[in-house]
Amino acid sequence: MKASAHAKYRFRQVSAGVLFYALIIGFCVIVLFPVYWMIVNAIQPLSYGMRYPPSLLPQEISFQPFITLFQNYPVARWLLNSLLLATMTTLLVLALAVLGSFAMTFLKWRGKAAFGLLLLMTQMLPEALVVIPVYAMYRELGLSNSLPALSLIDAAFILPICIWVLKNAFDSIPEEIYEAALIDGCTPLSALIRTLLPLSAPGMVAVSVVAFFYAWNEYLFAVTLISSPDNRPVSVGLASLKVMLDTPIDRVLAAALFFSIFPVIFYLLIQRYIVAGLSAGAVKG
Amino acid sequence: MAENVERRMAQPGRPRPWRRLSLPYVLVFLIVGYLSVFILFPITQQFLTSFSNNVVGVDAVRWVGLRNYERLWEDDDFWFAVRVTFIYMFFVVVGSVSLGMLSALLLNRKFRGRSMARSAIAIPWAFPEISAVLVFIWMCNPTFGVMNVFARWIPGIDENLSWLSDPDMAMPLVIALSVWKAFPFTFLVILAALQAVPRDLYEAAEVDGAGRLQQFRFITIPEITPTLMLMAVLMSIFAFKQFTLIWLTTGGGPYGGITETLVLRIYQTAFRFFDLAYGATLGVAGFVIVLGLTLLFVYVQQRQDRARGR
Repeated sequence: MKASAHAKYRFRQVSAGVLFYALIIGFCVIVLFPVYWMIVNAIQPLSYGMRYPPSLLPQEISFQPFITLFQNYPVARWLLNSLLLATMTTLLVLALAVLGSFAMTFLKWRGKAAFGLLLLMTQMLPEALVVIPVYAMYRELGLSNSLPALSLIDAAFILPICIWVLKNAFDSIPEEIYEAALIDGCTPLSALIRTLLPLSAPGMVAVSVVAFFYAWNEYLFAVTLISSPDNRPVSVGLASLKVMLDTPIDRVLAAALFFSIFPVIFYLLIQRYIVAGLSAGAVKG
Repeated sequence: MAENVERRMAQPGRPRPWRRLSLPYVLVFLIVGYLSVFILFPITQQFLTSFSNNVVGVDAVRWVGLRNYERLWEDDDFWFAVRVTFIYMFFVVVGSVSLGMLSALLLNRKFRGRSMARSAIAIPWAFPEISAVLVFIWMCNPTFGVMNVFARWIPGIDENLSWLSDPDMAMPLVIALSVWKAFPFTFLVILAALQAVPRDLYEAAEVDGAGRLQQFRFITIPEITPTLMLMAVLMSIFAFKQFTLIWLTTGGGPYGGITETLVLRIYQTAFRFFDLAYGATLGVAGFVIVLGLTLLFVYVQQRQDRARGR
Protein backbone atom coordinates (compact mmCIF):
# COMPACT_ATOMS: atom_id res chain seq x y z
CA MET A 1 0.00 0.00 0.00
CA LYS A 2 2.70 2.37 1.08
CA ALA A 3 4.90 1.32 -1.80
CA SER A 4 2.18 2.05 -4.32
CA ALA A 5 1.56 5.51 -2.85
CA HIS A 6 5.24 6.18 -3.14
CA ALA A 7 5.28 4.94 -6.72
CA LYS A 8 2.32 7.15 -7.50
CA TYR A 9 4.12 10.14 -6.03
CA ARG A 10 7.27 9.33 -8.03
CA PHE A 11 5.24 8.94 -11.15
CA ARG A 12 3.63 12.33 -10.69
CA GLN A 13 6.97 13.93 -10.01
CA VAL A 14 8.60 12.39 -13.04
CA SER A 15 5.74 13.25 -15.35
CA ALA A 16 5.73 16.83 -14.07
CA GLY A 17 9.44 16.96 -14.83
CA VAL A 18 8.91 15.57 -18.31
CA LEU A 19 6.12 18.03 -18.93
CA PHE A 20 8.31 20.89 -17.74
CA TYR A 21 11.17 19.93 -20.02
CA ALA A 22 8.79 19.43 -22.94
CA LEU A 23 7.47 22.94 -22.33
CA ILE A 24 10.96 24.47 -22.19
CA ILE A 25 12.20 22.61 -25.25
CA GLY A 26 9.04 23.36 -27.21
CA PHE A 27 9.33 27.04 -26.38
CA CYS A 28 13.01 27.18 -27.37
CA VAL A 29 12.24 25.38 -30.62
CA ILE A 30 9.56 27.91 -31.54
CA VAL A 31 11.76 30.86 -30.59
CA LEU A 32 14.76 29.58 -32.50
CA PHE A 33 12.90 28.27 -35.53
CA PRO A 34 13.59 31.36 -37.73
CA VAL A 35 17.30 31.07 -36.98
CA TYR A 36 17.21 27.38 -37.80
CA TRP A 37 15.28 28.01 -40.99
CA MET A 38 17.80 30.61 -42.11
CA ILE A 39 20.64 28.13 -41.63
CA VAL A 40 18.80 25.29 -43.38
CA ASN A 41 18.04 27.39 -46.43
CA ALA A 42 21.53 28.85 -46.55
CA ILE A 43 23.32 25.50 -46.58
CA GLN A 44 21.20 23.47 -48.95
CA PRO A 45 21.08 23.81 -52.73
CA LEU A 46 18.52 26.27 -54.01
CA SER A 47 16.38 23.57 -55.61
CA TYR A 48 15.26 22.37 -52.18
CA GLY A 49 14.14 25.81 -51.11
CA MET A 50 12.11 26.38 -54.26
CA ARG A 51 9.67 23.56 -53.81
CA TYR A 52 6.45 23.15 -51.89
CA PRO A 53 6.06 21.79 -49.35
CA PRO A 54 9.55 22.46 -48.05
CA SER A 55 11.11 19.71 -46.00
CA LEU A 56 11.69 20.72 -42.40
CA LEU A 57 15.08 19.02 -42.34
CA PRO A 58 18.00 19.89 -44.60
CA GLN A 59 18.13 17.40 -47.45
CA GLU A 60 21.63 17.95 -48.69
CA ILE A 61 24.42 20.14 -47.44
CA SER A 62 26.24 22.28 -49.93
CA PHE A 63 28.44 25.32 -49.71
CA GLN A 64 27.41 26.49 -53.14
CA PRO A 65 25.24 29.34 -51.79
CA PHE A 66 28.25 30.76 -49.95
CA ILE A 67 30.56 30.39 -52.91
CA THR A 68 28.17 32.10 -55.33
CA LEU A 69 27.43 34.75 -52.71
CA PHE A 70 31.07 35.71 -52.31
CA GLN A 71 31.69 35.49 -56.05
CA ASN A 72 28.76 37.64 -57.09
CA TYR A 73 28.41 40.23 -54.36
CA PRO A 74 31.03 42.30 -52.50
CA VAL A 75 30.08 40.66 -49.20
CA ALA A 76 33.62 40.68 -47.83
CA ARG A 77 33.77 44.39 -48.54
CA TRP A 78 30.43 44.97 -46.78
CA LEU A 79 31.55 43.00 -43.75
CA LEU A 80 34.78 44.93 -43.59
CA ASN A 81 32.92 48.24 -43.84
CA SER A 82 30.55 47.22 -41.06
CA LEU A 83 33.41 46.09 -38.89
CA LEU A 84 35.13 49.40 -39.43
CA LEU A 85 31.97 51.39 -38.80
CA ALA A 86 31.04 49.47 -35.66
CA THR A 87 34.56 49.65 -34.23
CA MET A 88 34.82 53.39 -34.75
CA THR A 89 31.38 53.92 -33.22
CA THR A 90 32.23 51.75 -30.24
CA LEU A 91 35.50 53.54 -29.49
CA LEU A 92 33.89 56.94 -29.78
CA VAL A 93 30.94 55.95 -27.59
CA LEU A 94 33.21 54.37 -24.99
CA ALA A 95 35.33 57.51 -24.69
CA LEU A 96 32.35 59.86 -24.44
CA ALA A 97 30.24 57.59 -22.23
CA VAL A 98 33.11 57.17 -19.75
CA LEU A 99 33.52 60.93 -19.45
CA GLY A 100 29.79 61.59 -19.27
CA SER A 101 28.93 58.98 -16.68
CA PHE A 102 32.00 59.96 -14.67
CA ALA A 103 30.70 63.52 -14.54
CA MET A 104 27.27 62.21 -13.51
CA THR A 105 28.51 60.05 -10.65
CA PHE A 106 31.74 61.32 -9.11
CA LEU A 107 31.75 65.03 -9.88
CA LYS A 108 29.66 67.72 -8.26
CA TRP A 109 28.11 70.38 -10.45
CA ARG A 110 24.87 72.18 -11.13
CA GLY A 111 22.46 71.02 -13.79
CA LYS A 112 22.79 67.27 -13.41
CA ALA A 113 19.03 66.78 -13.55
CA ALA A 114 18.71 68.83 -16.73
CA PHE A 115 21.55 66.89 -18.28
CA GLY A 116 19.85 63.63 -17.38
CA LEU A 117 16.61 64.81 -18.93
CA LEU A 118 18.43 65.80 -22.11
CA LEU A 119 19.96 62.34 -22.31
CA LEU A 120 16.58 60.70 -21.78
CA MET A 121 14.94 62.72 -24.48
CA THR A 122 17.64 62.08 -27.06
CA GLN A 123 17.45 58.41 -26.20
CA MET A 124 13.79 58.33 -27.10
CA LEU A 125 14.11 60.27 -30.32
CA PRO A 126 13.45 58.17 -33.43
CA GLU A 127 16.22 58.38 -36.01
CA ALA A 128 13.65 59.19 -38.67
CA LEU A 129 12.92 62.51 -36.96
CA VAL A 130 16.35 63.93 -37.74
CA VAL A 131 17.43 61.96 -40.76
CA ILE A 132 16.39 64.69 -43.22
CA PRO A 133 18.32 67.63 -41.71
CA VAL A 134 21.28 65.35 -40.97
CA TYR A 135 21.28 64.31 -44.60
CA ALA A 136 21.24 67.96 -45.68
CA MET A 137 23.97 68.88 -43.21
CA TYR A 138 26.21 66.02 -44.32
CA ARG A 139 25.77 66.90 -47.98
CA GLU A 140 26.64 70.50 -47.32
CA LEU A 141 29.74 69.61 -45.33
CA GLY A 142 30.80 67.02 -47.87
CA LEU A 143 30.51 64.28 -45.24
CA SER A 144 28.06 62.03 -47.01
CA ASN A 145 29.41 58.74 -48.23
CA SER A 146 32.01 58.53 -45.50
CA LEU A 147 31.97 55.76 -42.93
CA PRO A 148 33.73 57.78 -40.19
CA ALA A 149 31.09 60.49 -40.58
CA LEU A 150 28.36 57.86 -40.36
CA SER A 151 29.91 56.55 -37.16
CA LEU A 152 29.63 60.07 -35.69
CA ILE A 153 25.85 60.14 -36.02
CA ASP A 154 25.48 56.50 -34.93
CA ALA A 155 27.50 57.31 -31.82
CA ALA A 156 25.32 60.33 -31.04
CA PHE A 157 22.19 58.17 -31.07
CA ILE A 158 23.47 55.35 -28.89
CA LEU A 159 25.50 57.52 -26.51
CA PRO A 160 22.68 58.43 -24.07
CA ILE A 161 21.74 54.86 -23.19
CA CYS A 162 25.42 53.96 -22.89
CA ILE A 163 25.92 56.78 -20.41
CA TRP A 164 23.04 55.37 -18.32
CA VAL A 165 24.47 51.86 -18.36
CA LEU A 166 27.95 53.01 -17.41
CA LYS A 167 26.65 55.41 -14.79
CA ASN A 168 25.13 52.39 -13.15
CA ALA A 169 28.46 50.59 -13.09
CA PHE A 170 30.05 53.67 -11.55
CA ASP A 171 27.26 53.97 -9.00
CA SER A 172 28.24 50.64 -7.54
CA ILE A 173 31.83 51.79 -6.87
CA PRO A 174 32.16 53.25 -3.37
CA GLU A 175 33.00 56.93 -3.40
CA GLU A 176 35.81 56.32 -0.89
CA ILE A 177 37.84 54.60 -3.59
CA TYR A 178 37.73 57.66 -5.79
CA GLU A 179 38.51 59.96 -2.88
CA ALA A 180 41.42 57.81 -1.81
CA ALA A 181 42.88 58.09 -5.31
CA LEU A 182 42.56 61.87 -5.16
CA ILE A 183 44.25 61.98 -1.79
CA ASP A 184 47.09 59.88 -3.18
CA GLY A 185 47.71 62.68 -5.63
CA CYS A 186 45.74 61.62 -8.70
CA THR A 187 43.98 64.24 -10.76
CA PRO A 188 40.29 63.43 -11.29
CA LEU A 189 40.95 62.14 -14.79
CA SER A 190 43.86 59.93 -13.81
CA ALA A 191 41.81 58.61 -10.89
CA LEU A 192 39.12 57.76 -13.44
CA ILE A 193 41.52 55.94 -15.73
CA ARG A 194 43.64 54.20 -13.11
CA THR A 195 41.11 53.18 -10.49
CA LEU A 196 37.54 53.55 -11.72
CA LEU A 197 37.79 52.02 -15.17
CA PRO A 198 39.39 48.75 -14.07
CA LEU A 199 36.60 48.40 -11.51
CA SER A 200 33.80 48.82 -14.03
CA ALA A 201 34.80 46.21 -16.61
CA PRO A 202 31.33 44.60 -16.96
CA GLY A 203 29.75 47.99 -17.58
CA MET A 204 32.37 48.81 -20.21
CA VAL A 205 31.77 45.47 -21.92
CA ALA A 206 28.02 46.04 -21.89
CA VAL A 207 28.46 49.52 -23.36
CA SER A 208 30.80 48.25 -26.07
CA VAL A 209 28.34 45.55 -27.05
CA VAL A 210 25.38 47.91 -27.14
CA ALA A 211 27.29 50.42 -29.28
CA PHE A 212 28.74 47.75 -31.53
CA PHE A 213 25.35 46.10 -32.14
CA TYR A 214 23.74 49.43 -32.84
CA ALA A 215 26.24 50.44 -35.50
CA TRP A 216 26.27 46.92 -36.91
CA ASN A 217 22.48 46.88 -37.29
CA GLU A 218 21.76 50.50 -38.07
CA TYR A 219 20.01 50.86 -41.38
CA LEU A 220 18.24 54.21 -41.75
CA PHE A 221 21.25 56.53 -41.48
CA ALA A 222 23.43 54.13 -43.43
CA VAL A 223 21.04 53.90 -46.35
CA THR A 224 20.48 57.66 -46.55
CA LEU A 225 24.04 58.84 -45.95
CA ILE A 226 26.03 56.23 -47.87
CA SER A 227 25.43 56.23 -51.59
CA SER A 228 28.47 54.58 -53.12
CA PRO A 229 28.30 50.77 -53.23
CA ASP A 230 31.93 50.57 -52.11
CA ASN A 231 31.18 52.13 -48.75
CA ARG A 232 28.06 50.14 -47.94
CA PRO A 233 27.93 48.43 -44.58
CA VAL A 234 26.34 44.97 -44.49
CA SER A 235 22.98 46.24 -43.31
CA VAL A 236 22.54 48.28 -46.48
CA GLY A 237 24.11 45.62 -48.69
CA LEU A 238 21.79 42.96 -47.35
CA ALA A 239 18.74 45.13 -47.73
CA SER A 240 19.78 45.78 -51.33
CA LEU A 241 19.74 42.02 -51.92
CA LYS A 242 16.17 42.00 -50.72
CA VAL A 243 15.22 44.86 -53.00
CA MET A 244 16.69 43.10 -56.03
CA LEU A 245 13.86 40.64 -56.33
CA ASP A 246 15.78 38.25 -58.52
CA THR A 247 18.41 37.44 -55.91
CA PRO A 248 18.05 33.71 -55.24
CA ILE A 249 16.95 33.06 -51.68
CA ASP A 250 19.80 30.72 -50.78
CA ARG A 251 22.28 33.53 -51.31
CA VAL A 252 20.16 36.08 -49.46
CA LEU A 253 19.94 33.79 -46.45
CA ALA A 254 23.61 32.84 -46.67
CA ALA A 255 24.38 36.56 -46.46
CA ALA A 256 21.93 36.95 -43.58
CA LEU A 257 23.70 34.07 -41.85
CA PHE A 258 27.06 35.76 -42.24
CA PHE A 259 25.64 38.98 -40.96
CA SER A 260 24.23 37.39 -37.80
CA ILE A 261 26.96 34.92 -36.89
CA PHE A 262 29.19 37.66 -35.64
CA PRO A 263 26.88 39.42 -33.17
CA VAL A 264 25.30 36.16 -31.95
CA ILE A 265 28.66 34.55 -31.13
CA PHE A 266 29.85 37.80 -29.65
CA TYR A 267 26.74 37.82 -27.48
CA LEU A 268 27.04 34.19 -26.38
CA LEU A 269 30.67 34.68 -25.38
CA ILE A 270 30.12 37.62 -23.11
CA GLN A 271 26.47 37.29 -22.15
CA ARG A 272 27.35 37.10 -18.49
CA TYR A 273 28.60 40.69 -18.60
CA ILE A 274 25.76 41.91 -20.75
CA VAL A 275 23.05 40.49 -18.55
CA ALA A 276 24.69 41.97 -15.47
CA GLY A 277 25.42 45.33 -17.06
CA LEU A 278 22.16 45.77 -18.92
CA SER A 279 19.73 44.44 -16.39
CA ALA A 280 21.27 46.65 -13.74
CA GLY A 281 21.04 49.51 -16.19
CA ALA A 282 17.46 48.82 -17.08
CA VAL A 283 16.20 47.82 -13.66
CA LYS A 284 17.62 50.91 -12.06
CA GLY A 285 17.53 53.09 -15.14
CA MET B 1 47.45 60.78 5.29
CA ALA B 2 45.06 63.28 6.86
CA GLU B 3 47.96 65.61 7.43
CA ASN B 4 48.79 65.35 3.77
CA VAL B 5 45.28 66.40 2.79
CA GLU B 6 45.30 69.35 5.14
CA ARG B 7 48.59 70.52 3.73
CA ARG B 8 47.25 70.28 0.20
CA MET B 9 44.06 72.06 1.07
CA ALA B 10 45.91 74.75 2.93
CA GLN B 11 47.89 75.79 -0.09
CA PRO B 12 46.09 78.77 -1.54
CA GLY B 13 46.26 79.81 -5.14
CA ARG B 14 46.97 76.34 -6.49
CA PRO B 15 45.31 75.84 -9.84
CA ARG B 16 43.88 72.47 -8.92
CA PRO B 17 40.72 73.50 -7.01
CA TRP B 18 39.67 75.67 -9.89
CA ARG B 19 40.41 72.98 -12.38
CA ARG B 20 38.56 70.45 -10.33
CA LEU B 21 35.51 72.67 -10.22
CA SER B 22 35.51 73.34 -13.90
CA LEU B 23 36.20 69.77 -14.99
CA PRO B 24 32.56 68.59 -14.89
CA TYR B 25 31.47 71.57 -16.96
CA VAL B 26 34.16 70.86 -19.54
CA LEU B 27 33.08 67.22 -19.79
CA VAL B 28 29.38 68.02 -19.95
CA PHE B 29 30.01 70.77 -22.46
CA LEU B 30 31.82 68.22 -24.61
CA ILE B 31 28.90 65.81 -24.56
CA VAL B 32 26.14 68.37 -24.85
CA GLY B 33 28.07 69.97 -27.69
CA TYR B 34 28.37 66.66 -29.44
CA LEU B 35 24.68 65.87 -29.05
CA SER B 36 23.81 69.41 -30.12
CA VAL B 37 25.61 69.11 -33.44
CA PHE B 38 24.09 65.77 -34.33
CA ILE B 39 20.70 65.81 -32.64
CA LEU B 40 19.59 69.15 -31.20
CA PHE B 41 20.66 71.24 -34.19
CA PRO B 42 18.85 68.98 -36.68
CA ILE B 43 15.74 69.03 -34.48
CA THR B 44 15.78 72.82 -34.40
CA GLN B 45 16.11 72.86 -38.15
CA GLN B 46 13.09 70.59 -38.40
CA PHE B 47 11.10 73.04 -36.31
CA LEU B 48 12.09 75.89 -38.60
CA THR B 49 11.44 73.93 -41.77
CA SER B 50 7.96 73.07 -40.56
CA PHE B 51 7.04 76.76 -40.88
CA SER B 52 8.22 76.97 -44.48
CA ASN B 53 7.07 75.66 -47.83
CA ASN B 54 10.29 73.77 -48.52
CA VAL B 55 9.65 71.09 -51.11
CA VAL B 56 12.47 69.69 -53.20
CA GLY B 57 12.37 71.58 -56.50
CA VAL B 58 10.65 74.71 -55.17
CA ASP B 59 12.87 77.71 -55.84
CA ALA B 60 11.37 80.33 -53.57
CA VAL B 61 11.39 78.89 -50.09
CA ARG B 62 9.49 81.21 -47.78
CA TRP B 63 7.78 81.21 -44.44
CA VAL B 64 4.19 80.11 -44.47
CA GLY B 65 3.37 80.40 -40.79
CA LEU B 66 1.14 77.68 -39.43
CA ARG B 67 -0.08 76.48 -42.79
CA ASN B 68 1.64 73.09 -42.49
CA TYR B 69 0.08 72.62 -39.08
CA GLU B 70 -3.38 73.43 -40.42
CA ARG B 71 -2.78 70.82 -43.08
CA LEU B 72 -1.61 68.39 -40.42
CA TRP B 73 -4.75 68.91 -38.40
CA GLU B 74 -6.95 68.05 -41.36
CA ASP B 75 -4.74 65.32 -42.76
CA ASP B 76 -6.58 62.02 -42.41
CA ASP B 77 -3.47 60.10 -43.42
CA PHE B 78 -1.60 61.65 -40.50
CA TRP B 79 -4.26 60.67 -37.97
CA PHE B 80 -4.41 57.25 -39.52
CA ALA B 81 -0.63 56.90 -39.12
CA VAL B 82 -0.93 57.99 -35.48
CA ARG B 83 -3.58 55.34 -34.95
CA VAL B 84 -1.42 52.70 -36.62
CA THR B 85 1.53 53.79 -34.47
CA PHE B 86 -0.41 53.40 -31.24
CA ILE B 87 -1.94 50.08 -32.26
CA TYR B 88 1.50 48.78 -33.15
CA MET B 89 2.96 50.12 -29.90
CA PHE B 90 0.17 48.66 -27.80
CA PHE B 91 0.49 45.14 -29.15
CA VAL B 92 4.29 45.16 -29.18
CA VAL B 93 4.34 46.30 -25.54
CA VAL B 94 1.71 43.83 -24.38
CA GLY B 95 3.23 41.01 -26.42
CA SER B 96 6.85 41.50 -25.45
CA VAL B 97 6.23 42.20 -21.77
CA SER B 98 3.85 39.29 -21.27
CA LEU B 99 5.93 36.85 -23.29
CA GLY B 100 9.07 38.05 -21.50
CA MET B 101 7.35 37.60 -18.17
CA LEU B 102 6.00 34.13 -19.01
CA SER B 103 9.39 32.89 -20.16
CA ALA B 104 11.09 34.46 -17.15
CA LEU B 105 8.65 32.68 -14.83
CA LEU B 106 9.29 29.44 -16.67
CA LEU B 107 13.03 29.75 -16.18
CA ASN B 108 12.91 31.12 -12.66
CA ARG B 109 13.69 27.80 -11.03
CA LYS B 110 16.72 25.62 -10.95
CA PHE B 111 16.90 22.87 -13.52
CA ARG B 112 19.54 21.17 -15.57
CA GLY B 113 20.28 23.08 -18.76
CA ARG B 114 18.82 26.32 -17.49
CA SER B 115 21.66 28.55 -18.61
CA MET B 116 21.51 26.93 -22.04
CA ALA B 117 17.79 27.62 -22.31
CA ARG B 118 18.38 31.19 -21.19
CA SER B 119 21.02 31.75 -23.87
CA ALA B 120 18.77 30.18 -26.49
CA ILE B 121 15.82 32.41 -25.66
CA ALA B 122 18.06 35.48 -25.65
CA ILE B 123 19.44 34.86 -29.14
CA PRO B 124 16.78 36.87 -31.05
CA TRP B 125 17.89 39.94 -29.12
CA ALA B 126 21.41 39.62 -30.56
CA PHE B 127 20.10 38.61 -33.96
CA PRO B 128 20.42 41.49 -36.46
CA GLU B 129 17.14 43.07 -37.48
CA ILE B 130 17.82 42.78 -41.17
CA SER B 131 18.65 39.09 -41.01
CA ALA B 132 15.44 38.60 -39.07
CA VAL B 133 13.50 40.48 -41.72
CA LEU B 134 15.01 38.47 -44.58
CA VAL B 135 14.29 35.09 -43.06
CA PHE B 136 10.84 36.22 -41.96
CA ILE B 137 9.90 37.33 -45.45
CA TRP B 138 11.08 34.00 -46.79
CA MET B 139 9.10 32.08 -44.18
CA CYS B 140 6.01 34.06 -45.18
CA ASN B 141 6.48 33.55 -48.88
CA PRO B 142 3.03 32.71 -50.26
CA THR B 143 4.36 30.03 -52.61
CA PHE B 144 7.26 28.37 -50.86
CA GLY B 145 7.08 29.71 -47.31
CA VAL B 146 7.31 27.26 -44.45
CA MET B 147 4.56 29.12 -42.59
CA ASN B 148 2.13 27.51 -45.03
CA VAL B 149 3.18 24.11 -43.73
CA PHE B 150 2.37 25.18 -40.17
CA ALA B 151 -0.84 26.96 -41.13
CA ARG B 152 -2.11 23.83 -42.85
CA TRP B 153 -1.80 21.92 -39.59
CA ILE B 154 -4.76 23.99 -38.47
CA PRO B 155 -7.96 22.25 -39.52
CA GLY B 156 -9.88 24.13 -42.16
CA ILE B 157 -6.86 25.64 -43.90
CA ASP B 158 -5.95 23.72 -47.00
CA GLU B 159 -4.44 26.26 -49.26
CA ASN B 160 -1.47 28.60 -49.00
CA LEU B 161 -2.11 31.98 -47.46
CA SER B 162 -0.86 35.27 -48.82
CA TRP B 163 0.64 36.38 -45.48
CA LEU B 164 2.31 39.79 -45.75
CA SER B 165 0.29 40.83 -48.78
CA ASP B 166 -2.96 40.07 -46.98
CA PRO B 167 -4.14 43.36 -45.42
CA ASP B 168 -5.65 41.52 -42.46
CA MET B 169 -2.48 39.63 -41.66
CA ALA B 170 0.24 42.19 -42.39
CA MET B 171 -0.06 44.07 -39.10
CA PRO B 172 -0.25 40.99 -36.84
CA LEU B 173 2.76 39.53 -38.67
CA VAL B 174 4.83 42.69 -38.28
CA ILE B 175 3.88 42.79 -34.62
CA ALA B 176 4.85 39.14 -34.21
CA LEU B 177 8.23 39.80 -35.78
CA SER B 178 8.80 42.82 -33.53
CA VAL B 179 7.79 40.91 -30.42
CA TRP B 180 10.09 38.05 -31.40
CA LYS B 181 12.95 40.54 -31.68
CA ALA B 182 12.09 42.46 -28.50
CA PHE B 183 10.86 39.99 -25.87
CA PRO B 184 14.26 38.42 -25.07
CA PHE B 185 15.35 41.71 -23.59
CA THR B 186 12.33 41.96 -21.29
CA PHE B 187 12.84 38.29 -20.49
CA LEU B 188 16.43 38.85 -19.34
CA VAL B 189 15.57 41.88 -17.25
CA ILE B 190 12.42 40.38 -15.67
CA LEU B 191 14.35 37.20 -14.87
CA ALA B 192 16.97 39.31 -13.11
CA ALA B 193 14.21 41.09 -11.19
CA LEU B 194 12.58 37.77 -10.19
CA GLN B 195 15.85 36.52 -8.84
CA ALA B 196 16.31 39.69 -6.84
CA VAL B 197 13.09 39.06 -4.88
CA PRO B 198 14.22 38.24 -1.32
CA ARG B 199 13.86 34.50 -0.58
CA ASP B 200 12.74 35.09 3.00
CA LEU B 201 9.55 36.74 1.76
CA TYR B 202 8.48 33.43 0.25
CA GLU B 203 9.60 31.51 3.32
CA ALA B 204 7.60 33.78 5.58
CA ALA B 205 4.57 33.38 3.34
CA GLU B 206 4.94 29.63 3.38
CA VAL B 207 5.03 29.65 7.18
CA ASP B 208 1.83 31.69 7.09
CA GLY B 209 0.28 28.99 4.93
CA ALA B 210 0.14 30.85 1.62
CA GLY B 211 -0.16 28.62 -1.43
CA ARG B 212 1.87 28.93 -4.61
CA LEU B 213 -0.75 31.05 -6.31
CA GLN B 214 -1.12 33.37 -3.35
CA GLN B 215 2.65 33.79 -3.13
CA PHE B 216 2.69 34.73 -6.76
CA ARG B 217 -0.20 37.15 -6.37
CA PHE B 218 0.94 38.84 -3.16
CA ILE B 219 4.74 38.67 -3.35
CA THR B 220 6.02 38.15 -6.87
CA ILE B 221 3.66 40.52 -8.65
CA PRO B 222 4.10 43.51 -6.30
CA GLU B 223 7.86 42.99 -6.19
CA ILE B 224 8.35 43.03 -9.94
CA THR B 225 5.65 45.54 -10.88
CA PRO B 226 8.13 48.45 -11.08
CA THR B 227 10.30 46.41 -13.46
CA LEU B 228 7.26 45.50 -15.55
CA MET B 229 6.26 49.15 -15.78
CA LEU B 230 9.75 50.14 -16.82
CA MET B 231 9.82 47.42 -19.45
CA ALA B 232 6.47 48.61 -20.76
CA VAL B 233 7.88 52.10 -21.19
CA LEU B 234 11.12 50.86 -22.78
CA MET B 235 9.17 48.65 -25.17
CA SER B 236 6.88 51.50 -26.17
CA ILE B 237 9.99 53.54 -27.00
CA PHE B 238 11.36 50.60 -28.99
CA ALA B 239 8.08 50.33 -30.88
CA PHE B 240 7.70 54.04 -31.44
CA LYS B 241 11.23 54.33 -32.87
CA GLN B 242 10.97 51.20 -34.98
CA PHE B 243 11.78 51.74 -38.63
CA THR B 244 13.83 48.87 -40.03
CA LEU B 245 11.55 45.98 -39.09
CA ILE B 246 8.43 47.57 -40.56
CA TRP B 247 10.00 49.30 -43.52
CA LEU B 248 11.78 46.23 -44.83
CA THR B 249 8.93 43.76 -44.30
CA THR B 250 5.88 45.65 -45.55
CA GLY B 251 7.17 49.12 -46.42
CA GLY B 252 4.00 50.42 -44.76
CA GLY B 253 1.73 48.35 -46.99
CA PRO B 254 0.58 46.02 -48.42
CA TYR B 255 -1.58 49.00 -49.42
CA GLY B 256 -3.35 51.98 -47.96
CA GLY B 257 -0.64 52.44 -45.34
CA ILE B 258 -2.15 49.90 -42.96
CA THR B 259 1.24 49.22 -41.38
CA GLU B 260 2.61 52.71 -41.90
CA THR B 261 3.58 54.14 -38.52
CA LEU B 262 4.37 57.81 -38.02
CA VAL B 263 8.10 57.21 -38.39
CA LEU B 264 7.57 55.57 -41.79
CA ARG B 265 5.18 58.31 -42.82
CA ILE B 266 7.84 60.96 -42.07
CA TYR B 267 10.41 59.07 -44.11
CA GLN B 268 8.02 58.61 -47.04
CA THR B 269 6.93 62.25 -47.04
CA ALA B 270 10.50 63.49 -47.21
CA PHE B 271 12.23 60.89 -49.33
CA ARG B 272 9.46 59.79 -51.63
CA PHE B 273 7.27 62.86 -52.01
CA PHE B 274 10.20 65.24 -51.33
CA ASP B 275 7.92 67.40 -49.21
CA LEU B 276 10.55 68.46 -46.69
CA ALA B 277 8.38 71.04 -44.94
CA TYR B 278 5.49 68.69 -44.32
CA GLY B 279 7.86 65.88 -43.38
CA ALA B 280 9.34 68.22 -40.78
CA THR B 281 5.85 69.05 -39.52
CA LEU B 282 5.12 65.37 -39.05
CA GLY B 283 8.48 65.17 -37.28
CA VAL B 284 7.43 67.88 -34.85
CA ALA B 285 4.25 65.91 -34.13
CA GLY B 286 6.47 62.90 -33.46
CA PHE B 287 8.62 65.03 -31.20
CA VAL B 288 5.56 65.91 -29.12
CA ILE B 289 4.89 62.20 -28.65
CA VAL B 290 8.54 61.72 -27.62
CA LEU B 291 8.12 64.43 -25.01
CA GLY B 292 5.06 62.63 -23.66
CA LEU B 293 6.96 59.34 -23.51
CA THR B 294 9.87 61.03 -21.71
CA LEU B 295 7.55 62.42 -19.06
CA LEU B 296 5.98 58.98 -18.67
CA PHE B 297 9.45 57.47 -18.27
CA VAL B 298 10.44 60.00 -15.61
CA TYR B 299 7.17 59.35 -13.78
CA VAL B 300 7.62 55.57 -13.84
CA GLN B 301 11.22 55.93 -12.76
CA GLN B 302 10.31 58.11 -9.80
CA ARG B 303 7.59 55.72 -8.74
CA GLN B 304 10.07 52.89 -8.93
CA ASP B 305 12.62 54.78 -6.85
CA ARG B 306 9.96 55.49 -4.28
CA ALA B 307 8.89 51.84 -4.26
CA ARG B 308 12.49 50.87 -3.57
CA GLY B 309 12.61 53.37 -0.77
CA ARG B 310 15.26 55.57 -2.31
